Parts: sequence; C-alpha cells; structure tokens
Amino acid sequence: MLEIKNLKASINDKLILKGLNLNIKDGELHAVMGPNGSGKSTLANVLSGKNGYEISGDLKFKGQSLAEIPVEERAQKGIFLAFQYPLEIPGVNTNNFLKTSLNSVRKATGKKELDTLSFLKLVKDKSLELGIDEKILSRQLNVGFSGGEKKKNEILQMKILDPAFSILDETDSGLDIDALKIIAKGVNSSRANNKSFLVITHYQRLLDYIKPDFVHVLSDGKIVKTGCSDLAKELEKTGYKKIN
Amino acid sequence: MIQNFEINSKQIDEIKKITTEEKNFRIKNLKLFNEVGFPHKRLEDWKFSDFKNIVDSNFDELDTASVTSNFNKIDLIKDFEHNYIFLVNGNLHSSNFNYEEKNKIKITPFDKSINYQLNKNPLVCLNHALAENGYSLEVDKNYKFKKVLVIYNVFTNDLKNKILNNKNKIKVNENSELHIIEYTVNNSKFRFINNAYENIILEKNSKLKNLYIQKSKNDGFFHKFIKNNLFLNSDYTNLIFSAGPKFHKLDIECDLMAQNAKCNILSALFLNNNEHNEIKTRINHLDSNCKSYQRVKNVLNSNSKGIFQGKIYVKDIAQKTDAYQLSKALLLTDSVEFNSKPELEIYADDVKCSHGSTSGSIDEESLHYLMTRGLNRKDSTKLLIKGFLNDVVEFIKNPSIKNFIETKLDQQINEN
Repeated sequence: MLEIKNLKASINDKLILKGLNLNIKDGELHAVMGPNGSGKSTLANVLSGKNGYEISGDLKFKGQSLAEIPVEERAQKGIFLAFQYPLEIPGVNTNNFLKTSLNSVRKATGKKELDTLSFLKLVKDKSLELGIDEKILSRQLNVGFSGGEKKKNEILQMKILDPAFSILDETDSGLDIDALKIIAKGVNSSRANNKSFLVITHYQRLLDYIKPDFVHVLSDGKIVKTGCSDLAKELEKTGYKKIN
Repeated sequence: MIQNFEINSKQIDEIKKITTEEKNFRIKNLKLFNEVGFPHKRLEDWKFSDFKNIVDSNFDELDTASVTSNFNKIDLIKDFEHNYIFLVNGNLHSSNFNYEEKNKIKITPFDKSINYQLNKNPLVCLNHALAENGYSLEVDKNYKFKKVLVIYNVFTNDLKNKILNNKNKIKVNENSELHIIEYTVNNSKFRFINNAYENIILEKNSKLKNLYIQKSKNDGFFHKFIKNNLFLNSDYTNLIFSAGPKFHKLDIECDLMAQNAKCNILSALFLNNNEHNEIKTRINHLDSNCKSYQRVKNVLNSNSKGIFQGKIYVKDIAQKTDAYQLSKALLLTDSVEFNSKPELEIYADDVKCSHGSTSGSIDEESLHYLMTRGLNRKDSTKLLIKGFLNDVVEFIKNPSIKNFIETKLDQQINEN
C-alpha cells in the first residue's frame, strides 16, 4: 500500500524528517508514537501532500510515486488524513461539503456521482453505525463543534469517503472514553484486506481499542524502533527517553 | 477626457410646469454642483472614489439631456411570484400589483415636491438640479404586502454618454410592510451614468426590506443616495448584492428618528475585473433605544476595488443606543484594493457601539483541509468564498428568493 524510503522533509530550511523508512502493506494497521517535535504531524502532512515542504526520498502509494501528485489527487486516489486540529470553515454546510467531496472522489475514480437522496441515506447509515448525531452535519463545517465532535466528524468523513489508506493524526488527543470508543469503532469497522491505516498517537490508550499490527517509535525525524503492540505498553511505562 | 464639466442653467429653464420655488431650488443646487464639479478625492467622502478621475478616464463627453427610449419587454424573474414595477432609464413605465389590494398602494411618477435638504454631495446637488424622472410609491397604513415587489430598473441600449438623474420616494405608512427587490437590468451597449436619489420614509411600526441586485456584469456607472427617515418602532433592512457594474456607489443616510427604530445594512459582494464598489453609510441615532446593525462583506478579485465608509452618529439624547458595524474583506489577488473607514461620533453616555474591520487573503490551512477531501484548489476556493459571504445571504428568509440570490452569487463566483 505505502512505501516510504529515506524520506527527508524540511520546512523553512529546518530538516524535520531525516531519512524515514516505513512499509505498510495492504490490510495492515501501523501505529506511530513519539515525543513532541519528533516529526509525527510532519509525516502526516507530507503524506497528504501539504504545500510548503522540501521533500526528498521515495514515497510510493500502491506502487506509484506520489512526488508530483497534488493534495486533491492523493485524496481521490484513496489517501485520507484525519486532522489533529480539524479546521472550522464558516458558512460551509457540512453535508453540502461532504457531498461535494464524495462526488469529487467518485468522479475521479470513474464512479457515478451520488444524488442528494442516496447521499443522505449513506450519511444516515454511517452516522447510525458510529453512533454520531447526524444533526452536526446540518451545521457549518466544524464551526462551534466541541473537540470531540470535530474528531468524530473526521471519522465520519473517513467512513463516508471510504479511503484505501487512512492517516489518523492524534485523533485520540483530548477525547473522553466514549468518543474514543466511537473513533476506535470507526477504524475497526473499516479494517479490511484492501485497507490500511497509519495511526499517529501519543498514548497507548487508543491502542487498547485499536489493535495495531506494528508500532513504530519516531524520534528526531527517524523511526528508531519497531515492534508489536507490546512496544506501546512498554513506552507507556518507560517513556521515550530509554528508546533514545 | 472631459474638461470643466458644467451644467448650463438653460436646462432648468426647459423643465416644464415648475413653480418658482422649485426652480430656485434647482438653480441653487446647480450652482452648488458647478462650484465643485464631479466629486474628487480631495473631498473627504470621496477620498477612495475619485469620481472625477473615473469620469475623465471613461468618458469623452457627457450629456445630461433627458432621454425617451424604446423599451423592449424583458423576461420577468420566474423563480418566485412577485408584483413589479418597470423603470425604464429611471422613468416609471408600468406597474403590476396583481397579488395585492390595489387600493392600498399608490404609485405615481416622479414626485415634484421639493422638501429635500441641501446636501454637500455634489452628485446629490446635480440630482436636485436636474432630476425629472422617477417614481413615488406609498403603502397605505395597516397593509402588509403578500408578495415581494420587484423593481425592474431597466436601462436601454442607447444611453451613450448620458447622465440620467432620477428621484424616487418610498413611503410605508403605519403598521405596514413591504419587501422590495431592486433588480437592475442594464442593456446598454454604451457607458452612461445613473445618478439616483431615493427617499425612504417608514412610519410607526412599519417594515421595509430592500434588496439590491444587478442582473449581470455591465458597463454602467451607478451612484445612488438614499435618505431614510425611520419613525417609532420601524424596521428597515437593506441587503446589498450590487456587484457587477464598472462603478457603483451607494451612499446611505439613515435617520433613526424615534424610539425603537431599527436599521440593518448588510452586503455581500463579489467584485471582479476592475469593478469599483463603494458603500458609504451614515447612521444617525437621534432618539433613544434605537438599534443599527451593519455587516459588509467584500470578496475582491482581479484589479477590483472595494470601499466601506461607515459612520455611526449618536445624539446626546439617544441613550441605550445599540450600534454594531463590521466590515470584512477577502482579497484573492495582490492586484485588488480594499479601503475601510469606520467612524463613531457619540454624544450619549449610555450606549453600546462596536465596530470592526478585517481584511485578509484565503486561508491556506482551510484550503488544504478541503483539498485533502478531494476538492481541487479552484473548487475549494469557491467554497470558501461562498462560505465567507454566506452569513449575509442567511438574512434572506424566503427560500425561493434566497435560492435566486445564491444562484446569482454563484454565477458571479464561477465567472472568476
């Protein structure tokens, strides 16, 4: 699904990712943990195609280089980023936005665009499945949403767009247990042989609900240790300092 | 290029059936206009719209003689049921009030009464001197319009180098309600200036909603001065969607003359391709417990220029005034200019007055967020523009009218 080789990324002449290697196969869920400032969000941003980074190294998605692929085409090809801080977009109705978004993705992949009725049915089903109040979808995108609502909205978007590869950038930060369970449910119910996940988190807590195939420790722009889910538990006890 | 544009008083001599008093008023205004000529940037109220320079660079000659033109019927708006008035080059042509009780409405051509105050705006002086066309509309007391009234403000295709001065009066009597959409349809192939003066009187407990929109982009130069007199508990809302012409300036003066009078002025403009659009307001809080609310949103693209000059004046007796003013501009390129001049002049001590003004470019982080959901840069930008203007559109409560306005705004944004 995703192959990263010797990825270096800098912003404003500051090198942040310093030769990162990561290989995520179809159906796998990888967790990336690491201290503040280790480059976790930069990794998420670079994978999503965000402007402003100087990048070198190999970045391949489904065997194709992502080097020249702009943000929206990455999304259309099936890369989804659940934001650490979802943006508030005043004046834009969440449902309208989601419909435009879904249809952009469907159009790009040669699928028929959904009409309003089918779209609303899809949204209703997915909200019900996750236990999310669909009323939030008739509001302006993320405007006045609580922290938890914003994160749940990200997961709902993920469910609706149904991407092949999802990156969750600290989606668990600031969530109560109930919201955390909804997020986990969203991820677990999406897991399939043709879907992969990269879950970026600070805490082992989320990994009690989402079982990763691999856990990586990112430190100073590189993956310094890889293990199974036990690694996360070990980190919880010892902290990152020992790893370094 | 026009040098020393002056109006000859012979033109006033040619106006038929006028009293000596009216003639003197016109001559006085003519003199006032001729002293200054077209307003220029050295006049404080015109510092951001150098009209003299704009006229000089767009007209080789100008002619103030009135015109009679052939009017070919235009298509009516089909999106919602409405009453209508046709104005042709500012002249009242016809009206249709089929949805209303006709005896409750009085519509007449140009009102000749001259109880207008002198004004320091040279274009108002020019209007006072020369206006012969227009309409006067009066709604009887205790009558609420059932359907909206569309004023088709049509300009014919033969208005080369003309200055058209017209004057309108709208009076809504006690406990009555009126909703107007002024829909400007400029069919002129040539450049011309329309210089209008409007007097709006809202009597006790009356309501007027007035929405301005242009049918399409055009080469017109529009200036309109609106004088509002709002009496006890009356409610005036002005929604401005007047993007489109080469030049547009609305100069709105609102006198909140008695307690609990309310005035809302809102605008949502998408300015493009060298358009110049100014909204200037002066809200006079002259009695206590009155409320004014102003929200001005401009999106500027491709060499356009937007201006908001808003003044709130609170008289010493106007205690418990609640006045709010906000101007926000979204600048899409480096080639645009937005000027904002908020002013407060307050002589009462128990008031709530606030104002704010911001301008900035499209937020790259928001764009990125939308693009990560598969929307391209252009569509994401459009979505953000619509979102930016949306809170003004939300003021329209009638769904069909709202949809009509949204479609017009979409057209403007999509031409981008």
